[in-house]
Parts: sequence; structure tokens; C-alpha cells
Amino acid sequence: MSQTSSIAVERPRTRSKVGFLLIAARILLGLIFAYAAYAKLHFNGAWHLRDYYFFFAMSIDSYRMLPLVIVQWMARILPWLELGLGALLVIGVGVRWAGLVVIALLAVFMIALAHAALGGLEIHCGCFGTGSVKPGRELMLDGVLLALALAVTVGGFLSHRAGKSQA
Amino acid sequence: MKRSCVKVMFSIALGGLLLPALISAGPRQSSPGSKSAPVQELTTLKSVGSHDAPITIEVFSDYQCPQCRVFYLDTARQLMLTYIPAGKVYYVHRDFPLSMHSHSREAARWATAAALAGVFETAEQTLYSKQDEWGSTGKIEDVLASALSPTDMKKVRTIEATQGAQIDAAIARDLALGESRGVNGTPSIYVLHKGQMTPLPSGGVNYSLLKQYIDYLLQQR
Repeated sequence: MSQTSSIAVERPRTRSKVGFLLIAARILLGLIFAYAAYAKLHFNGAWHLRDYYFFFAMSIDSYRMLPLVIVQWMARILPWLELGLGALLVIGVGVRWAGLVVIALLAVFMIALAHAALGGLEIHCGCFGTGSVKPGRELMLDGVLLALALAVTVGGFLSHRAGKSQA
Repeated sequence: MKRSCVKVMFSIALGGLLLPALISAGPRQSSPGSKSAPVQELTTLKSVGSHDAPITIEVFSDYQCPQCRVFYLDTARQLMLTYIPAGKVYYVHRDFPLSMHSHSREAARWATAAALAGVFETAEQTLYSKQDEWGSTGKIEDVLASALSPTDMKKVRTIEATQGAQIDAAIARDLALGESRGVNGTPSIYVLHKGQMTPLPSGGVNYSLLKQYIDYLLQQR
């Protein structure tokens, strides 16, 4: 009898621990994405809201993977997309869908970084503005972020399903 | 007769004394191949375009670096055909030979000697376009000789042989300037406009993207 009650107490505790870790991971991921956007808009000691896309387009183009039209389009949109996703993750709104987009983005970034690393391109990845580290190290960082994003997204879907079944 | 002879001799002696002084007091021209060029003059000799252009593009470059070659041939050359003759861009070359490249410092020495001889543009273009040739053999002098006229090459050889210390000091100054700005790879490109210096992302820049940025800056005038 006493055994059953201890198990019953343990489960919510473990669940709350996992829930706390998922919230921490979500906020951390959101802050990292928000910082990535900030670094693309504010560098060299000043805000570059009117000309940020020139620099970011040059960074994306150095991967030599995409046609110029797509490069320029990505350069204009990506910082704002990162900022939006970061904000959603931090405040905890639309976590599942934001998480899915983050996973897709990180997968694309990792493919580009692997392409640069394998091709021996001596470029700065542009992930965190102009002061980014080299592709090899950035690839490892993105791997960690992808693991976080997967945990946050799967956690988001599971808690959503649990909430539905309880209702 | 005696008096006139004395007068002639006196005037010759006076002329002999005054003429060198007058010549040295006259406006100094930066004659290529002159004994020693000051720092600023040497930078000018390694630059293309008008110093008064609204935009200055400063490139820290290594002659043996493949990405520097791509940047020079695909981007810098196009700038030299469009914005530089129009007086909109001043292009400054800075030597940043990386230790990983076995012949890059020697190439920088030859290019600096060529700058002092007044044939920098030809030398720079030759070094980049024939990078594979001298990069594997180290025969920089031969490659330059194939592109320069015998007279110019003779000048370059003389300068390289006699002004080694000055050339090394010039390269060291460029390296120190780059290190002070945190340059750790090539090409490292800086754009100076209205007193604000902005570094471009490393790894070379596509001409059409750089063109768009230059046009944007020119509209800010």
C-alpha cells in the first residue's frame, strides 16, 4: 500500500522536473534565436536596420549554394523570422509550430554548414552576424540546438495531447 | 677679355652651386622607383582610383589565397572597370600574407617592389591570374617578367634587390594594421564611407551584391 503511494508521488515529481527542463530549454532556444536575429541587425557597434540585408546576403552567398535572388530574399526575411520564432518560444505561444519551423531552419543551416565544412570554405557562417565562428564549430552548436528544438517540439505535442485527453 | 672670361667662369660656378639647390627646392614628384617612398606614398602606390572618392574599399589580401584570387578577378576587377574610373570608389590594397602559404610573403615583396616601380596594377593582376603557376613552383619573378616590359621588370628587380628593408617594413605595417583590426583571414574587406568603417563578411564578396551596397551608400550622400 505504502509502495503504491510512493510511486504515485514520484511520477508527478518526475513529470514536473521534465516539464521544468522543457520550459528552460524552450526559453533558452528562444533567447538564442532572438540573439541570432539581434546579431544580424546590430553589429560593428551600431544598428543596421536599413542595410543589414547587404551584409547577411554576402554571408549567405559565401556558401555558394543558392542563386542570388533566393540569397537576397533570405537575407531580408531570415532575421525577422528568427526574431519572431524566438519571441514565440520565450513567451510560450504556438510552441509546437514554432518548434517545427525551428527544426526545419536548423536542418537547412546544418546542411549549409556541412557543405561549407566539407568544401573547405574558409567562411564565417553568418549565423550570429559578422562575428560568427567557423562552420565546423557552428555545426556542432546547431546540432545541440536541434536536439533542444526536438525536445521542446516533441514535449509541446505530448503535453498538448495529454491536455486534450484529460479534457 | 680677361674680365669677360672671369665673368663666364663666375656665372658657371654660381649656376653650378644654385642649380642643384633650385631643383631640390622645386615641387617633389613621386617618381616611381625613387630611393625611398614614405608610408603614405607607398599606400597610394598600392591603391587604385581617386583618393577623393566617396567610398574607400580596403582589402587585406594574400596573393596565394584562392579566395583572394576569386575576389580580385571576379569582383575587384569589375570595380576597377566601373566605379573606380568614375571616381566613386578608391581601392586600397593591403598585404596580409598568411604563414600557411609558402610563397605569399615573397609575392607581396615583388608586388610592393612593382608598386615602387609604378607598375602595381599589372603586377597584381598577373600574380592573381597566374596564381597556380607561381604558387606551385615559387617562380614569382619569372611570372612577373612574362607580363611586364623588360624595362619595367629591370626596375622592379633593382628595387626588390636594393630596397628590401623598406619593402619588408611596408608589409609588416600592413600586417600590423590588419592585426589591430582583428583580421585573421583573407580577403578581409573594409568599406569606408562618411568616416564610418564597416567590415564586410569574410570569404569574398560577389560583385553584384557589392555593387548593390555601393549604390546604396552612394544614394546616402
